[in-house]
Amino acid sequence: MLKMLSLSYFAMMCLLVAVSSIVVEAGVRVVIYDNRTTEVAPPPETPSTDDLWVTLEDLKRATGYVIKPQGVCRDELCFPIPSGRRSAFLSKKGSITWFNLSEFARLLRQPVAHEAEASVWYFGPRPDEQNGFISSLAAPDFKLPDMNGKPHSLSDFRGKKVLLLTWASW
Amino acid sequence: MAQDTGGVKDAGKWIEAAKPEYTVLIDTQHLVTRLYDMVNVPTAVWVNEQGRIVRPNEVAYVDNRYKGMHGIEASEYLDALRDWAANGERSVFALSEKELKERLAPQNPDWALAAAEFALAEYLYRNGQSAASIRHYKEAQRLNPESWNYKRQAWALSDADRDYGTSFMKEVQKLNGKPYYKPRRLPEMKKPK
Repeated sequence: MLKMLSLSYFAMMCLLVAVSSIVVEAGVRVVIYDNRTTEVAPPPETPSTDDLWVTLEDLKRATGYVIKPQGVCRDELCFPIPSGRRSAFLSKKGSITWFNLSEFARLLRQPVAHEAEASVWYFGPRPDEQNGFISSLAAPDFKLPDMNGKPHSLSDFRGKKVLLLTWASW
Repeated sequence: MAQDTGGVKDAGKWIEAAKPEYTVLIDTQHLVTRLYDMVNVPTAVWVNEQGRIVRPNEVAYVDNRYKGMHGIEASEYLDALRDWAANGERSVFALSEKELKERLAPQNPDWALAAAEFALAEYLYRNGQSAASIRHYKEAQRLNPESWNYKRQAWALSDADRDYGTSFMKEVQKLNGKPYYKPRRLPEMKKPK
């Protein structure tokens, strides 16, 4: 009898653990920004749109941007919030201020891909970041690993001619 | 650079077989494809000693093993490459700033969105969410139908017929004589005096 009770208790605890892990996972939202992946806090209420609202703390963690009087800033770069549209970008709920990262991406003309079921948002580069090399003609730099995991950058080869050749196993 | 979401698992055996004396990198996220706006492999860019582009994206076969399929002769490209290696900026194949700016164009916004969809699909695939990844691979393919990278990589990661209703050979047949690669624009080699 005691064994049966123990088993029931064990089964109930397993169920509780499983349910609580589903609840936690359901709230998790993933932001991929500048190729960096960050989990951010769930929204205060069920969102009515696909837009991604994040706390100012998560904005800084996920993107490096902070809100300043002159706009949304990262290092020396600041994007003013368009006059008369502040409420489209910022919303205060209780003591927490939320920022609409999707609206900011529209302002910067960043491409955004969203998977609703998995709550993942991918933010691509601004057009000026993607296309900057056309005016400078500087080959866009990158860092990638070789087969042994050792990273190499294109800029490591400065002083040599480089044939940059892509191929694939497929 | 191997454009391979499967990483060493998929690209490693080819690298080992080639025994390269040059640097070979593995690009699981197809970052180079996005940075240089590429749509197929093999594609190459020439970069000079100062890190400046000398020739932008173009098809870059270095042997003729698939010539029967695409008709591209490798020796012309190899000759051009050797000429640039020997003569640098004086090579007839090194493009001027004016020529480069005529050939380079800002990324089409649909292609930019396709790159984002592809990157999201790649993340989902890597995290075991294959069904969701297929939705986004398909969206990348719809937004940038010229990209064989987006098609062939996605098809290689699943059962293409079952999940995409097609296959590489079926799509090649649909071209019906249209070139598989955008034709190269190499000038005539100057005859040695």
